Amino acid sequence: MLTDFLQLTVAGLSQGSVYALLAVGLIAVYTVRHVINIAQGEFAMLAGLGSAWLAAAGMPLLLAILVAILSVTLVAIAMERLIIARVKKLTPLTSIILTLGVSTLLQAIMLLAWGPEAKGVPLFPGTNILIGGVSIRSQEFWMIGALVVVGGGIVLFYEKSRWGKALRACAEQPVAARIVGISPVTASVLAFAIAGFVGGVAGVVASPIYLSLWSGGVLLGLKGFVAAVLGGFVSFRAAIVGALLLGVIEAYVAGYVSSGLRDGAAFLILILVLVVRPQGLVLKPTAVRV
Amino acid sequence: MKKSRLRFIAPIAVITALVLAGCSTSNLGGTAKDDPAAEAGPIKIGAVLDVTGVGASLGVPEQNTLTMLAKQLNDDGGIDGRDVELTIIDNQSTEDGAAKATSKLIESDKVDIIIGASRTGPSLAMRPIAEAAKIPMISVAANVAIVEGSKWVFKTAQNDVVVLERILDDAEAKGYTKLALVRDASGFGEGVAEYITDLGAERGITLVMTEAFEPSATDFTPQMTNVRGSDSDAVIIWGINPSAGLAQKAYVQLSVNKPVYHSHGISNQAFFDAAGDAANGVIAPMGRLLVADQLAADNTQREVIEQFQADYNAAYGEQPSGFAGHAFDAWHIAVNAIEAAGTDADALRGELESAQWTGISGVFQMTAKNHSGLDATALILAEAEDGRWNLLKD
Repeated sequence: MLTDFLQLTVAGLSQGSVYALLAVGLIAVYTVRHVINIAQGEFAMLAGLGSAWLAAAGMPLLLAILVAILSVTLVAIAMERLIIARVKKLTPLTSIILTLGVSTLLQAIMLLAWGPEAKGVPLFPGTNILIGGVSIRSQEFWMIGALVVVGGGIVLFYEKSRWGKALRACAEQPVAARIVGISPVTASVLAFAIAGFVGGVAGVVASPIYLSLWSGGVLLGLKGFVAAVLGGFVSFRAAIVGALLLGVIEAYVAGYVSSGLRDGAAFLILILVLVVRPQGLVLKPTAVRV
Repeated sequence: MKKSRLRFIAPIAVITALVLAGCSTSNLGGTAKDDPAAEAGPIKIGAVLDVTGVGASLGVPEQNTLTMLAKQLNDDGGIDGRDVELTIIDNQSTEDGAAKATSKLIESDKVDIIIGASRTGPSLAMRPIAEAAKIPMISVAANVAIVEGSKWVFKTAQNDVVVLERILDDAEAKGYTKLALVRDASGFGEGVAEYITDLGAERGITLVMTEAFEPSATDFTPQMTNVRGSDSDAVIIWGINPSAGLAQKAYVQLSVNKPVYHSHGISNQAFFDAAGDAANGVIAPMGRLLVADQLAADNTQREVIEQFQADYNAAYGEQPSGFAGHAFDAWHIAVNAIEAAGTDADALRGELESAQWTGISGVFQMTAKNHSGLDATALILAEAEDGRWNLLKD
């Protein structure tokens, strides 16, 4: 019994790590630009399909992954420069319509380029281990590790580094930030670059066991969105905790109730949070009210 | 506060609308002319396939096959001097997409016969529409419910019942008495547990647990954790790829360590792409296509299979899958019947009921009672090893 419980927990945490990375990307963009980026899930699929394609073409795995993540980061920056930055009056609604357009465009490109079938990046190096009947797949270490390193790195970046503090300043006091000389253009580009980067990382670490599919980004992006809502769309830490919680709850629902209800669980949580506690898991209100 | 809630709800509404957006159409024949004359002008064959969505690993090779065969036939002068016009519609692997596509083929394209769909669920959604319009339909999916009791519907994939008989015979011979089933939650997996219980009773085999997964699922830890905790001797995983391949991968990675059978739903390269090394040791009943090189030289299907492999490889640069084979058989059964009986719906239906065809998935003998036409001899048992199938038992 306990073995099963722990096994489901491991699966939930690794799946939750992917949601967490996507939530980090969504929040990074939202706090700076007040844009809800519907295309966040597509960043993951683009990186997954791109690296699978490069690896299949004979490129060493590590290089293929790096090239794919870097390319997706550039796609995100291009999206900011070519589309988001050109809109004079950006409301949440126009941002949703614009990013939805980008999401659909990216899906169409992936479908044309790589076809309708799911593809996977080769497994990363490592061995599966078995502790007390609980088996942990090597790829699950990579997924959780990616969250610790990349997600943790971005939290540290925001809290410790000069650039990170500047981004927070833009989010919390945009006018004051401008007065002290922080460029809103740079801040916006940086936010999108972070979104593309974490989306790309999430896509490549998940691809070996969950595969990448041209149309897979919508559902994945929505799960990241639920996690971001749990973080009140302002707090990385709360969103990461929320994402792990979401992954684990999904695994328990699938294991103990019915696998068909798995996706339903996420949306039930979303509705409950929005109705009962719109600030999510954030404990004390911050300056930014979403 | 109220406004902030709305902000979050808006994207969900927008995305839901996107997901539910309609299906796409591709016309691969000549120009669609409204030609009511029954026995003149081009012969119109419609196809509804799962080209995108969860059934893509089935629908894509089926689309390739039909497109290739239509071109071959027209290059050779068509049927009795009449061109064949093939219209393929992608149902996006959905039931409502399949139903809409079928109505469109019948009402606006005025097709003479319909091929499809790739999977059981969409095929079941098409059946009542074809029956109401009295248009013959040949499904390329597996579940026997597609044709059972139908006057107008036929199919070319091997029945799930004979596949299960093949698996259970092998399980009985190896002395397994308790089986666990992990099945596709869509139409393809419907009824499988009941068949195992019924067919197993006479072999002293009981089904001790059933787990289900959505064909779009990517994580199989919950199901495999439950299977690992069961007291079964062996496991049947019943699904199509990529989900069945991912399930197999999770099965091995979670150290379930029991012998495993799959259905004929995995007879394509996508299984090895998804499962990788975890595929080794899997036993599955399937048609002879994937083990053609290991068949006896005098096997009746060998010639047609090798010709199809050569043609498909020349056209698309890869080997055809078992699903391509189902489409190949459906096309030839349809074309042969049209050659013999013309395009009058009743005559065509009558001809299909006596169709005989030595094809890729087996030697078909349709009758008024049996609209599937294949028995257990259509299947062989094969074992996966390093990305290929080894023939165990013909």
